Amino acid sequence: MGVASLASTTSDREPRVNRWLCWLCLTLLTAGCASKQVVVEGNFPTPLLEPLPITLGVIYPSAFAEHEVFDEAKGRAESDWLVKTGEAQVEFWDILLAGMFEEIVHIRDWDTVQRRRGDIDGVLIPAIAELQYTIPTHTNVKIYEIWMRYAFRMVDISAIHQQEDGALTFNPEDRLAAWPITAYGKTPTAFLQSDEEAVNLAAVVALRDAGAHFVTTFGANPDVALWLDEIAAKQALPEPTPPLPEPADLTVDATIDSPITEPAMNSADATGDMTGDAQ
Amino acid sequence: MRRRFHRARSLPSWLGVVAIAVALGGCVNATVDEMTYNEPVEGIGESSVVILGRRHAPDYDTEFDFIECLGDHIHRGDPSIEVINELAFINQLYPWFEPRTAPMQPQSIDRLMDMPVVADRLEEMKLEYMIWIDGKTVDTESTGSMSCGIGPGVAGCFGFGTWGTESEYEATIWDFTDKIEVGRVSAATSGQSYMPAVVVPIPIIAPVQGTACDSLGDQLLEYLSALH
Repeated sequence: MGVASLASTTSDREPRVNRWLCWLCLTLLTAGCASKQVVVEGNFPTPLLEPLPITLGVIYPSAFAEHEVFDEAKGRAESDWLVKTGEAQVEFWDILLAGMFEEIVHIRDWDTVQRRRGDIDGVLIPAIAELQYTIPTHTNVKIYEIWMRYAFRMVDISAIHQQEDGALTFNPEDRLAAWPITAYGKTPTAFLQSDEEAVNLAAVVALRDAGAHFVTTFGANPDVALWLDEIAAKQALPEPTPPLPEPADLTVDATIDSPITEPAMNSADATGDMTGDAQ
Repeated sequence: MRRRFHRARSLPSWLGVVAIAVALGGCVNATVDEMTYNEPVEGIGESSVVILGRRHAPDYDTEFDFIECLGDHIHRGDPSIEVINELAFINQLYPWFEPRTAPMQPQSIDRLMDMPVVADRLEEMKLEYMIWIDGKTVDTESTGSMSCGIGPGVAGCFGFGTWGTESEYEATIWDFTDKIEVGRVSAATSGQSYMPAVVVPIPIIAPVQGTACDSLGDQLLEYLSALH
């Protein structure tokens, strides 16, 4: 009792049924070609940490804040996939960093750089170097997986410059530290769970894993450890009376360093420049 | 078509299929092993218990709903036992109970307690026992065939399918105060499910995971509760 046998008994009776069956067939044929889109979203917990007494500047480059991966279908049985993680990345790292450091300053424009130059201990610039995903149709394993590799850079606030178009950039030679972080998330197949829901869940697990990896290895990086030691030593000294910064001084400082015209991140894994409108 | 439809609805056929399927589908085998010591003979008082799933294996995750089932089973059996919700616990202690960071040995608890914020949070929870569950439920061999058809005003299936399901879970009980392992309980269950279809498929599912939950839950309840 298949579809064909039922169709053959009814198709001669009514022309409307013919049309209905045509639509059904067309829908079934194109179903495999439909693209799937996941905008990753989740509820991320505040980390349980003793915040480090550090004021950290954060720049989310546009490639990070709007990060997405598009995977084109390789056959008729597969679907195109678009996985957008950007918004979730910003939401997650905002929560994590706010719990890890005493103060977080989002650096979105040159004005913020000038205003907070004196009290920002370092600027963190995250980037997603790579993201891979697998679904059961790819692997024949009943697990959805997401794997990510981040490239973190820590720079001094003085290394941040403004380009002629207003975009912020930094000299890669001036970085304090650079280190990678990998993250992995998986979720098994579940009854009545769509591919999109499962990929979203795997991405949320991967983000949580990224946070756990970041927190547990942050001080272990030698360059970061040195930076932390320097801050601790600075904080141990009696605080000198800070001279009032004059706008003229800042202008001179900015003009001493010639404007950097090369891309802000020159390595292959850098995923974009730090535009002024980056979140 | 029509003749077949009438035959399918005849009472003896229906009853025969259902009776056979129910008789066979009710069978779930369960094996429980237990090794516990330092049992709290007077119960755990006002302290709380958390049940957590292990999720660090590459090919499976201990199911969240199984952990929830165990917690419900224990709380139903002795309402005085406070079982902390797993997701709430790992969120409140993020990132210290993620697959990457979760302690694998009770001795590692000291490392967590070195952090004052973590120690304070755990003290607020009055946590006495941490129970780790490692295991999974999987479908095994399946046989049979079924075909379904749909047409204007008529739809139906015909055939018979059967598949096996196996569950295997191990609970490791940690005494959170003394930071030692105080017991291991395991449950292995298996069963066969059936799906006869004469126009309408009738799933007769063997409650394999549910039986594992009840078996493991009973043993844990026996350990934790003064009433059992």
